[in-house]
Amino acid sequence: MGKIKGIETRKLNIGYSFDLVGDISLEAKPGKILTIIGPNGCGKSTLLKTIMGELKERSGVIYLNGQDKRELKPALVAKSLAMVMTYKVKPELMTCREVVEVGRYPYTGRLGILSDTDKELVKEAMESTDVADIADAYFTNISDGQRQRVLLARAICQEPEVLILDEPTSFLDIKHKLDILNQIKRIVKEKNIAVVMSLHELEIARRISDTVAAMGEGKILRVGTPSEVFEEAFIRKLYGIEGMDIDILGAKVWDAKDEGLSGAVTSSFRPSVIMVQGTMSNAGKSVIAAGLCRIFANDGYKVAPFKSQNMALNSFVTEEGLEMGRAQVMQAECARIKPLACMNPILLKPTSDMGSQVIVNGKVVGNMRAMEYFRNKKKFVPDIMKAFDELSKKADIIVIEGAGSPVELNLKSDDIVNMGLAEMLNAPVLLVGDIDRGGIFPQLLGTLDLLEPEERSRVKGLVVNKFRGDSRLFEDGVKILEKKGNTKVVGVVPYMQVKLDDEDSLSERFYVNQAANFDIAVIKLRHISNFTDFDTFEQLKGVSVRYVESPKELGDPDLIILPGTKNTISDLRAIKESGLGEEIVKRAGAGLTVMGICGGYQMLGRRVDDPYGVEEGGSEEGLNLLPVDTVLGGEKIRSDFTGKIKAATGVLCGLSGLSVEGYEIHMGSTEAFEEITEFTSGKTGFCKGNVYGTYLHGFFDKKEIMTGVTEAVSKERNKSLYTAEAMDYAEFKETQYELLDRSLRAALDMDYIYEIMGIKR
Amino acid sequence: MSRKRRVIFFALIILIIGILTWLNLALGSAKVSGREIIEIFRGLGSDEMHENIIMSIRLPRTISAILLGGALALSGYLLQTFFGNPIVGPFVLGISSGAKLLVALAMIFFLSKGKEMGLFSMVGAAFIGAMGAMAFVLLISLKVKRMSVLVVCGIMIGYICSAITDFVVTFADDSNIVNLHNWSMGSLSGMNMDEIKIIAVTVAACLILTGFILKPMGAYRLGEAYAKSVGVNIPLLRVALIVASSLLAACVTAFAGPISFVGIAVPHLVRSGLKTDNAGVMIPGCFLGGAAVTLLCDAAARSVFAPTEVSISSVTAFLLVPVVIYMMIKRNDRKESL
Repeated sequence: MGKIKGIETRKLNIGYSFDLVGDISLEAKPGKILTIIGPNGCGKSTLLKTIMGELKERSGVIYLNGQDKRELKPALVAKSLAMVMTYKVKPELMTCREVVEVGRYPYTGRLGILSDTDKELVKEAMESTDVADIADAYFTNISDGQRQRVLLARAICQEPEVLILDEPTSFLDIKHKLDILNQIKRIVKEKNIAVVMSLHELEIARRISDTVAAMGEGKILRVGTPSEVFEEAFIRKLYGIEGMDIDILGAKVWDAKDEGLSGAVTSSFRPSVIMVQGTMSNAGKSVIAAGLCRIFANDGYKVAPFKSQNMALNSFVTEEGLEMGRAQVMQAECARIKPLACMNPILLKPTSDMGSQVIVNGKVVGNMRAMEYFRNKKKFVPDIMKAFDELSKKADIIVIEGAGSPVELNLKSDDIVNMGLAEMLNAPVLLVGDIDRGGIFPQLLGTLDLLEPEERSRVKGLVVNKFRGDSRLFEDGVKILEKKGNTKVVGVVPYMQVKLDDEDSLSERFYVNQAANFDIAVIKLRHISNFTDFDTFEQLKGVSVRYVESPKELGDPDLIILPGTKNTISDLRAIKESGLGEEIVKRAGAGLTVMGICGGYQMLGRRVDDPYGVEEGGSEEGLNLLPVDTVLGGEKIRSDFTGKIKAATGVLCGLSGLSVEGYEIHMGSTEAFEEITEFTSGKTGFCKGNVYGTYLHGFFDKKEIMTGVTEAVSKERNKSLYTAEAMDYAEFKETQYELLDRSLRAALDMDYIYEIMGIKR
Repeated sequence: MSRKRRVIFFALIILIIGILTWLNLALGSAKVSGREIIEIFRGLGSDEMHENIIMSIRLPRTISAILLGGALALSGYLLQTFFGNPIVGPFVLGISSGAKLLVALAMIFFLSKGKEMGLFSMVGAAFIGAMGAMAFVLLISLKVKRMSVLVVCGIMIGYICSAITDFVVTFADDSNIVNLHNWSMGSLSGMNMDEIKIIAVTVAACLILTGFILKPMGAYRLGEAYAKSVGVNIPLLRVALIVASSLLAACVTAFAGPISFVGIAVPHLVRSGLKTDNAGVMIPGCFLGGAAVTLLCDAAARSVFAPTEVSISSVTAFLLVPVVIYMMIKRNDRKESL
């Protein structure tokens, strides 16, 4: 009995001089909101007062964190149980800060002197409820809404595990109601607090609660999810309004559609959501999510992709100059919506084996070691919710992508990317398995088995991905999956020959080792970034793009490209050590075309200095193929670029004057130290002989540039190349997205997917 | 609640106490010059009569004004904390009158036996009387929560106690009446060093006790329910508040008779000066403030109609009642009646 965290009542009878309400058995778990509803005088406040110990239990037991509350010392209870009640408090000449400081009472010494930590917590609590600016105002001189927020801050800095709220919205106008409810929601999630509150406003109760308990006639009449409790006949009976016309009250609570609102109270409209999770990395989540985006978009919905946390080197810069993951950019293109940083609130860019640069809502917030991140990730929940709320305003449907597997059991606590996120956003989940790599049954069934029962019930469909051949051959497999997994198989998706910008296709690209007629060697730098720069070449037949790591692998390419990197100096050292550097210099000397993009361009110069320790500090000799020097540091440049090729030397001289589009993302600047030809305009790149460098990512995306480069080089190398069908990369991608739409539509039971999303068509 | 304001407040009040102490030592029918006072203190006094006046009459009186004034204001502040209302004080709630009644009865009893009343029995009787009146007020407060009713009840108790005192006095011997009358008017005259020792010990004990309840007093400002929710032991705090305030009020009444309005007005003045109700600064603030006001009132009582001495209660009433009335009007402006 009573083993749970949070608060629990068992057969509790409450009342002043007689049993007002009897046999109350309720519980509120950490991170959940239990709301008590019922007519005036039914005993809501009496229950809360009894829980707080202001009134004695008439019989029964209250368990606090699994222990009989009567057996706990008051000082201990005060550390885990806090309240905001409806009493009018009118302390003489007491500032709001002093009121909040009372919350630290259980933690201070005999004289009640606050330590620096206490003061910091007080400040944080006041900031979190947005009352820091009135800290020095007298509590009696502020508005009711502010008072309620100050009292809430007081309760927060008491660091409770259970929070008791009696009518937290009474006397408040709409704005203040909104504020206080949002703050309650936020702290419940952030601090994992169990909340028990009473509410008169049923609409709010419906939206904010995890569990609702209806009290009346001296007992708990019904307990359950909001939709279970808010049933018209029951509510009418509870409040004694059978057969009455209640139009004057506006919305009828039992008519509400969107329930269990875990997102924001702010937006009255909530988009439909679907979440795609995979049994492992590379199961094809991003592609399925992308395909769903395109399908919904083609069906006439406003769609947006969302992934709470991305780990990738490959970032994209949005129009606002914010960084986000490439996969969501691709999905946004599928959804025909501009890519926004809020589609990918957290981006981790690995900078070393141990740590990552953490980018929150597009902005770098610092470097964190992996452990540090895992310990603190819960802190990012507000950022994620904020991003999702922002995105909610822009879409009817949001397609959410998970990360890795949802059952990485050692990392599962405080999950914010898979099931944890699905719960926060109340999303139905499709689980995708990769049959190509084998073991589809353990992948899907094993994952289902490792999920908690609640999580498992969120999985509404299974997807078998990357099936080669006739999918009818797998009909028996589908039956077994449905029977053993007790979950519908939504589709068997064929191995699709679509070419997409997608992190998961990274590994496949890296495995290309057959040189085709025209061979492009991209140096596989250890910290390679933005490798999608070269994907456009894939549309050409007879062209291979190989990622090479050693002089041996280099072979006899027609074109060598040094890609962008997150760590120029360390990668420069690495290629020099592996002998690749020397080999590149040798080939360039023999007249081979060598191009460098961003970090690769910096390497082509004479030297790279890092006086401010942006990367590792120090300086490194470059390959000295271009007479330029690079100094890292200064402000990070991230901007879109539209310009042209100003002039070109050597093989590419025919490209002069072509227009170029792309984007820059780098820290540092590169200057020529002798007279040299400006390659891309705005001094974004220089060239000398057959060596070309530019800061522009997406340089090859325009059809003219891509074909221009390949044709010129192939002519020089006496090879013939067919480029007539080449397209701008954007156009090419569009054809791929449509191909994706067609393939997925044929494979997936879209009617069922719409149904689980709650969309009637 | 700025730090600067506190520093200025305390510096100022200590300066005022210093000046008033000097004034109280220097003022009186016998002219003693400042230089002479200093010499007396250094043990170099040449005039024995002057030395006696300063050391045995004026100095004890001044010290008792400081201690008893501080005690009264502190008692008032503790009561205000207890009731969560600034319009209460020991005099208003009838606590002083209760103490007075018991002291009067005890005094007559001892005198009728032809004995001098001991100092401890004085304090003891006063304390019992104060607790009795307090108990009565508390009993009512259990039934009626409204402050106004409580204050009226306190005043009524005061009247009943005074009536009984008068009744007893009427039937007492003539020689006793004069003594009793003087005492019941409230006066700091005739204090001696033995009495001061007892006052000092009692006041020090109460100050230590308030030190222990400083922290819960802070939380108690948010009301009983919130204080309890952060772990304050409410019954213990209430007992401590009652005992300390009653003991302080009893001590004053036993030695100086009922001195009115210091307990209610001084905490208010100090609160306005400090712009806070924080117990940590209010307790020393009230004590010093009470001392300063009582020194001033006693100086006035002795010197305004010199050589005739008026009762100190008349002076405190005259000076402090306007403060109390102003305070009530101001509170009424804020739509908060008694």
